[in-house]
Amino acid sequence: MKRTYLGEFEELVLLTVAVLHESAYGVAITDELDRQTGRSVSISAVHAALHRLEEKGMLKSQMGEATAERGGRRKRLFTVTALGSRALHDIRAMRDQLWDSISPTALPAIAG
Amino acid sequence: MNMPPRWADRLLEWFCASHLLEEIQGDLHERFIRDVQMAGSAIANRRYWLNVLRFIRPFALKRQSELYPSVSLFSPAMLQNYIKIAFRNLARNKAYSAINIIGLSIGLAAAMLIMLYTKDEVSYDRFHAKNPSIYRITSKSLTPAGIVDYLQAYIGVFPGPKFHEGVPEITDFVRYRENQLDMKQGNEIKSQAVHFADTSFFSIFTFPLLSGNPKTALQQPKTVVISEDIAEKNFGTTNALGKTLFFKDYEDKFEPYTVTGVAKKCPQNSSIKFDVLMPLVIGAEEMANNENWFSVFMNTFVLVSPGANLKAVEAKMNQVYVADARESIKSVTKKFGIMGKTVYMLQPFTDMHLSKELPASNGLVDESNPTFSYILSGIALFILLIACINFINLTVARSLKRAKEIGVRKVVGGARTQLIIQFLGESFLLCFAAFLFAIVLIELALPTFNQLADKSLALSYLFDAKLVAGYFALFIITSLLSGFYPALILSGYSPVQTLYSRFNLSGKNYLQKSLVVLQFTLASFLIIASLTIYSQFNFLTSKELGYDDKNLVVIDKSNMKRSEAKLLKEELIKSQSIIDVAPKNGGFWGTTAKINGETQVNFTYETVNENYLPLFDIPIVKGRNFSASFPSDSSHSILVNETFVKEAGWKKPIGQVVDFWFKNEKYTVVGVVKDHHYQSLSEKIKPQLFTMRQSNDYGKAFIKIKPGTETASLRHIQKVFKRLFPLNPYSYKFLDQENLKRYESEAKWKQMMLYGAILTIFISCIGLFGLATLSAERRTKEIGIRKVLGASVGSVVQLLSTDFLKLVSLSFIFAFPAAWYAMQEWLSNYPYRISIGPWMFIATALIAISIAFLTVSGQSLRAAMIDPVKSLKAE
Repeated sequence: MKRTYLGEFEELVLLTVAVLHESAYGVAITDELDRQTGRSVSISAVHAALHRLEEKGMLKSQMGEATAERGGRRKRLFTVTALGSRALHDIRAMRDQLWDSISPTALPAIAG
Repeated sequence: MNMPPRWADRLLEWFCASHLLEEIQGDLHERFIRDVQMAGSAIANRRYWLNVLRFIRPFALKRQSELYPSVSLFSPAMLQNYIKIAFRNLARNKAYSAINIIGLSIGLAAAMLIMLYTKDEVSYDRFHAKNPSIYRITSKSLTPAGIVDYLQAYIGVFPGPKFHEGVPEITDFVRYRENQLDMKQGNEIKSQAVHFADTSFFSIFTFPLLSGNPKTALQQPKTVVISEDIAEKNFGTTNALGKTLFFKDYEDKFEPYTVTGVAKKCPQNSSIKFDVLMPLVIGAEEMANNENWFSVFMNTFVLVSPGANLKAVEAKMNQVYVADARESIKSVTKKFGIMGKTVYMLQPFTDMHLSKELPASNGLVDESNPTFSYILSGIALFILLIACINFINLTVARSLKRAKEIGVRKVVGGARTQLIIQFLGESFLLCFAAFLFAIVLIELALPTFNQLADKSLALSYLFDAKLVAGYFALFIITSLLSGFYPALILSGYSPVQTLYSRFNLSGKNYLQKSLVVLQFTLASFLIIASLTIYSQFNFLTSKELGYDDKNLVVIDKSNMKRSEAKLLKEELIKSQSIIDVAPKNGGFWGTTAKINGETQVNFTYETVNENYLPLFDIPIVKGRNFSASFPSDSSHSILVNETFVKEAGWKKPIGQVVDFWFKNEKYTVVGVVKDHHYQSLSEKIKPQLFTMRQSNDYGKAFIKIKPGTETASLRHIQKVFKRLFPLNPYSYKFLDQENLKRYESEAKWKQMMLYGAILTIFISCIGLFGLATLSAERRTKEIGIRKVLGASVGSVVQLLSTDFLKLVSLSFIFAFPAAWYAMQEWLSNYPYRISIGPWMFIATALIAISIAFLTVSGQSLRAAMIDPVKSLKAE
């Protein structure tokens, strides 16, 4: 099975879009990433990732409503496509499989 | 409301792909507003900038310039369409195209002609290889108080050689003068203009010789260099080296001169034009007489070494003069009291032709008044401007018809720039057609123009790179001037308005109106100028001169002795048709005298006999005329005119004494002659003195003939002259015709102004015609309705015409004061002049109004005659 490769940051962005559901757009995604992961990324990095993901077919988008604080400009709202969803599930399944294959004594213990 | 940095936004808009711009900019703004609340606007601004810069990544950059790619402006398909549309438009509106092309081509032709003219004017004397170093020595005379009294364009025999000797920077000099000599070829004797020059002539100036050695051609006495023309005329070939020509010397004998060189014809744009050139011979006693510093009669040119400081050279020249002329300055001062000072100057050779103060005269030709160039250029620009105004007005007014085209072009995605370029292209096309047409016009107009301007220009004559570049620039400027404004206006129409409803130009159309006013202001100005110059000319040529110049034949005979004059009269009187004969000195003699040892009077003096005044019908106001019954008259009596009496300040003129400069001879006044215009009317009457002094030879004779006997008289005069003076050239003139020749320059001005006025009026009127046509078309429906409701044809014509006539009348308000002022200025040059009367302005107003009315009313009438059924039936 040949599946599309997702970079680590792309994966995070894709997940965040899923988290925000229905109201995922550039600034909101950036803020959510910051909140959830403690990573402060630039808006342009997020935009670039969204753009890539849309090209790969994992996101779709449409223009949303305009708000005054954006100087009357519309947002582009992103939603995860079936392909995107599949990719996320695949990654998760692969990770679970890998976790399941680790013997309990193999990893050094960590405190608390 | 806090706004993000404008320039950052601009930068983003510039590099960001347009389909991404909205969301990106929105996001950034949103973030910015949060930043302002959290951290203040300074930090927010900085972060905004950073964020914008971070977006310079491949995915966000513009990959194509426009969202909807437009057809390139110069794609063949589009060009084809433009050209097709342009030609269709031209063909459909024949009247409009014709008006524009005719107007523009006349304007262009006028401007091109004047460029040709000025090009020729400024090219004068520039063909000499040694040019930047050639100067003419001139001088100014200062009054004892140190004020410049007058400038002298020519000087005497000394400055050339003495400055050459005493000023190291002056490396060479050539003196140049003119005289009339009698030349004999076979049996034919004719008077020939001869120029004299120093040997260095050909090494300073660039006048190529066809044959002969330029270094030695003028070395030997009794040698002569002639032009191709003279060689052809006298020997039938330019191969004339070593051949002989005969010239009469001062002893009335013909002497042989050997041809040592044949020169190519002098260029047309040269101030020095010679046919016969002889070595200048200055006698030893003339060079020895130091007082010759004060006799001025010839041009002297010098070579100044390159890089020399002119001011320093001039200073050195004056040192040389003051040192050399010390003795004679002293002696003259002793004789006449304190005199002014003479200061020598250098004038660049190429400045001479157009110099007002120091003209190219005295053996140099074609001196020209620069004012003439300015006025001509002014008129040409007037005409061109008026033609451009026509173009602007008609294009804008006619654009209503094209509004739909413009709307459609915009709707299907034409950008404004494209439209601007399209319309500019159309004006270029029209201008180009006009330009070609203008060249034809120039060819046609050149002969007339040459006659007016006293030139021999031809289109090919100055066809050089500079002129072509000038013409090209003129073409570009004209096209832009006439095309730019309409292109701007037309491309600005909104497609919704043009396509949706009947489109009309909004506003009062002030621009069109003011342009029409400007046109007619210029035209009226020129009409007034023409009328003024015309009446001044009439005044000059018909004014009473104070003497009778009708039926007078003038013949020249140099060095005529008293006995010869007597014999001439006796012989001539034998014919029934000859009434009387009076001799007079040749040339124009003037001098200065101190009256009663104090008042200085400059006067002209005439050597005449007792017949002179009666022959001319000049009355004596006091005292008596010369008379044969007073033997002393011929040696010690003089007559003076009234102006002389006034200037001398005499209460009782009869019996007063005048002693001449340099002569110390005393003369007694026996009569006062009534003032008369013995010079051109552009000169004030100056003091004049008549003498019978024996030692002055006569130079010409006036012969009064019976009216209507011209042919018989002239035959008789010629026969007598040939018999008495076989060695003199015979030529005759009629005095009244000679007098008219003095006003040739006024006649020239008159013609120029007249042509200018006619052209401006013509072009203004065709423009007006176009506008009237368009306005009548636009108001067809209105006129139809008015007629249905019972308006008469007359009232409709009035309705359509008054708009334009108002504008024409308005133009008078601007034109009249300006013209009045300008004409006063011009007239102030004439001591005897007309006054500008109100009739000129009335006449101008009538002319302008009636021409404008004729132009407009034709169109209005046509519009008014249309059957209203026709105009109202179709929408």
